[in-house]
Amino acid sequence: MSDCLILDGEAVTFQPGQTVLEVARQNGIKIPALCYHRKTGPAGRCRVCVVEVEGQAGLPTSCNLMAKDGMVVHTCTERVLEVRRSVVNLMLANGEHNCISCEQNGRCELQDAAYQLGIEIPAFTITGPKAEIDDSSEMVVLDRRKCIQCGRCIAACNNVVVNEVLGMGQRGFESKIVCDLDRPMADSTCVQCGECVQICPVGALIEKKAVGKGRSWEMDTVDTTCPYCGVGCQMTLHVDTDANRIVRVTGREVEPNDGMLCVKGRFGYEFPSSPNRLTQPLIRKNGELEPVSWEEALDFTAERIAKIVKEHGPDVFSAFGSGRITNENNYAIAKFTRAVIKTNNVDHCART
Amino acid sequence: MKPDVRARILDLAATYPTPKAALLTALETVQQAEGGHLSTDSLSEVAALLGVPLGTVYATASYYTMLNLKPVGKYHLQLDTNIPAMLAGAEDLLAHMEQALGIGVGETTSDGLFTLSAVEDLGACGTCPVLQVNDRYYENMTPACFDELLANLKQGVVPEWKTEGNWGTECNMLLARRGKPNSTALAGYVADGGYQALEKALTLSPAEVTQMVKDSGLRGRGGAGFPAGVKWGFLPKDSTKPVYLVCNADEGEPGTFKDRQIMEFDPHLVIEGMAISGYAIGAKLGYIYIRGEFAWIADILERAIAEAREAGKLGNNMLGRGVEFDIRVTRGAGAYVCGEETALIESLEGKRGNPRLRPPYPAVSGLFGCPTIVNNVETLSSVPFIVREGAEAFRQIGTANNAGPKIFGVSGHVKNPGAYEFPLGVPLAKVLEAAGGVVGNLKAVIVGGLSTPILTAEECRDLTLDYDTCAKYGTGLGSGGIMVMNDTVQIPAIALRTIQFYAHESCGQCTPCRQGSVAIEQMLHRVVEGKGTPEDLDNVLHLCKTIKGNTLCPTGDAFSMPIEAMVGKFRGEFEALLPKAGADLAV
Ligand SMILES: Cc1cc2nc3c(=O)[nH]c(=O)nc-3n(C[C@H](O)[C@H](O)[C@H](O)COP(=O)(O)O)c2cc1C
Ligand code: SF4
Ligand code: SF4
Ligand code: SF4
Ligand code: SF4
Ligand code: FES
Ligand code: FES
Repeated sequence: MSDCLILDGEAVTFQPGQTVLEVARQNGIKIPALCYHRKTGPAGRCRVCVVEVEGQAGLPTSCNLMAKDGMVVHTCTERVLEVRRSVVNLMLANGEHNCISCEQNGRCELQDAAYQLGIEIPAFTITGPKAEIDDSSEMVVLDRRKCIQCGRCIAACNNVVVNEVLGMGQRGFESKIVCDLDRPMADSTCVQCGECVQICPVGALIEKKAVGKGRSWEMDTVDTTCPYCGVGCQMTLHVDTDANRIVRVTGREVEPNDGMLCVKGRFGYEFPSSPNRLTQPLIRKNGELEPVSWEEALDFTAERIAKIVKEHGPDVFSAFGSGRITNENNYAIAKFTRAVIKTNNVDHCART
Repeated sequence: MKPDVRARILDLAATYPTPKAALLTALETVQQAEGGHLSTDSLSEVAALLGVPLGTVYATASYYTMLNLKPVGKYHLQLDTNIPAMLAGAEDLLAHMEQALGIGVGETTSDGLFTLSAVEDLGACGTCPVLQVNDRYYENMTPACFDELLANLKQGVVPEWKTEGNWGTECNMLLARRGKPNSTALAGYVADGGYQALEKALTLSPAEVTQMVKDSGLRGRGGAGFPAGVKWGFLPKDSTKPVYLVCNADEGEPGTFKDRQIMEFDPHLVIEGMAISGYAIGAKLGYIYIRGEFAWIADILERAIAEAREAGKLGNNMLGRGVEFDIRVTRGAGAYVCGEETALIESLEGKRGNPRLRPPYPAVSGLFGCPTIVNNVETLSSVPFIVREGAEAFRQIGTANNAGPKIFGVSGHVKNPGAYEFPLGVPLAKVLEAAGGVVGNLKAVIVGGLSTPILTAEECRDLTLDYDTCAKYGTGLGSGGIMVMNDTVQIPAIALRTIQFYAHESCGQCTPCRQGSVAIEQMLHRVVEGKGTPEDLDNVLHLCKTIKGNTLCPTGDAFSMPIEAMVGKFRGEFEALLPKAGADLAV
């Protein structure tokens, strides 16, 4: 039996333990929630997810408000919108949010919130010392000018991927995201996994290599499995089809990786369109590699293997499987090595 | 890092449920051992010793104002410039100090001897201006005093100057032993009937003691006035986890300097109150979290605790009755928000003082995830009387629903600023009279610490000081820090200083407080400078309206309510500062 609450006038059911934000999302009601993420949990920091609950003074934040049977919730009364507008205004008031050239444009949770609330330009500005951009690292740009201090990246780096690099330095208005003891990211213990980039709601953490390579809405997306190792992380390729180029990779929040990727999976995506890639078999003839047909290549390989095994015995042969091919292919390699060649010299990159 | 410092840190780490919890105290220890600042190498070493990630170490080290990440002079001169100090002439003193030292705020003299800082409230509002030199206070400072002090310091002499603040008591309870010689010693406390209440409590069941406190009507003296016995009742009945008692001695709200009167002059009263309360709630360990600036008071408490332990008043067999309770003193490191109970708990766990998202409340999940009761010093110090004399005797003091005595800290424009103990419900006029009366013409009063809305002279004429009446008057009794302003005071300047304090202290977690405090500060700054616009004032009021009730912890309310009251009630003064329409702005 599930419980029931009234959400913007509609009776909706929910499971005990769900928050009002979850129930609203489940029912297609958009509540901007800039610091909450399922993986990092409610933080209560951004204060934009407020709602009105009948019989309750003040406006509770829906991200940590437990749904209760019989609760009457209003998600967009004028009182709620006024507070949300004020908060989003404050976020925009000191940042440098030039959406026109921002990498996050079109997939930014702050931009969406401002749009939803009808905020064109902030009602006032807050001046402050220029926030620093850290573009020292190879893959990640930390643009503190756009940071809204939601804390998701810190929680993700410390508690989700447990690389324990990020922290919040200083306090109040001077708070800033730091790596280790306030080191440039490149000199820190960051392993460039990019989890923080993926979880950042705005354009404060972005993929360096994707800068200027196209806007989010211009990309085609392809869901696929990471080709690097046997874990089989699920990922989405964001592809510029015209240029036949992968522009960015994001982790899919499904099993087994729940959005997480390693540095290779997330950032090592150039190889499909690399000019160095082998596209046909080559055989070295007179010291030079020459393109040959598959038939010729296979015949040549089979002949050489047979000859060597015959002359020196099966144990001079060894096969090495790869995480980048399928299980079936790896199975075939093992079978071939043991049953055909008759040696146990078979191994795999993911075993080490 | 020297081997003995490492050893001390490891010893310390072993006393916590997790070594990480030793971080803040470890940083304080290292800083002291290494000449006043924390180098990158020391931070890395502490991180490795305690197994705390570097980013988290930095987050903590950079949060607290008393932890220095850059070298400071041999003598760190820190002048309190908050409102009570301002009313006592701290601005002129600061100018004098800058001139005498030849440096500005935030600078260090070229010989490396002196660093000058302007700091927030030091909890000495009745003896302002107050200057903190390293870990020593110099109260009631004047330019002449400063010159003498400076001459001493230049000779390498750190003089011991004790200032006796004004005080008085009508109740003879919390300040009863204030004037006695050697009032901190156990013998004197016992001779005056001390620890009898603990004796009696241990003959009762914990539930009976809790019931007594409930019946007494004792309301929390930390600011909110929440009934102490009711709070204790929120502890889960079926928990197998240890229960902690925390005494909140952070006392950082501008205008407030009452808890230190008890701790400094009658530490055993706090200890006995904690022992009884600890017994009532089933705690075996209590912490006193005291603001780091009160270093000498922390020393007094530690000595008194050691003495009490030695005499069997604390420890694993209290008064020989097989009941276990002990007390540890933890020093903060400069952060007003750590007075908020969940921030305090984070700080006790060695972290940044970021308030926690509620629920859960501390009574259910507090220190180290265990049920925890946080009470103010004054609250806990009221408990021995209740147990000894009975709930009814306590209710006899004060008014219905507002029982017991309260220490009022009076600062600002009165003849004798100081700490005065009266029954709750005392007329404000009577307290001001005890403080020697208003100097000049009364303009406005803030009665409960800086977070409570200001009252005009007119409004507060008949005010009586208790929780309910203050609420009826649209303000709060808060901590009982009364700041008196005569008609030489410009309210816009007070409002600006108020918001500067909160902007400086905001932990920065949530948007309305982090961004809103600075937005309001910049708007009011423009107004005070004569460059404001009517929109600035409207924006300030609109921000106050939308921030109120929408922050992660009550700090957002703590500035939006008083600012709203100042701008609302004295709008004319703010408007008078706006440039006249058509005036040449370029001049
Ligand atoms: C920003 C902030 C600062 C506070 N500072 C103090 C303080 O210095 N001392 C104190 O006892 N309570 C302080 N409080 C109140 C505590 O959160 C808590 O309510 C109190 O310690 C409970 O004790 P009581 O019930 O005995 O009053 C503060 C609250 C806030 C929001
Ligand atoms: S982070 Fe979002 S709001 Fe800011 S500039 Fe980028 S797209 Fe715009
Ligand atoms: S890239 Fe990964 S390791 Fe580096 S800061 Fe981000 S989450 Fe942490
Ligand atoms: S960098 Fe992004 S994720 Fe991290 S706190 Fe800033 S806005 Fe949030
Ligand atoms: S209101 Fe928010 S930012 Fe301010 S002190 Fe509390 S938690 Fe920190
Ligand atoms: S999402 Fe709820 S406070 Fe940020
Ligand atoms: S296995 Fe997932 S990214 Fe490499």
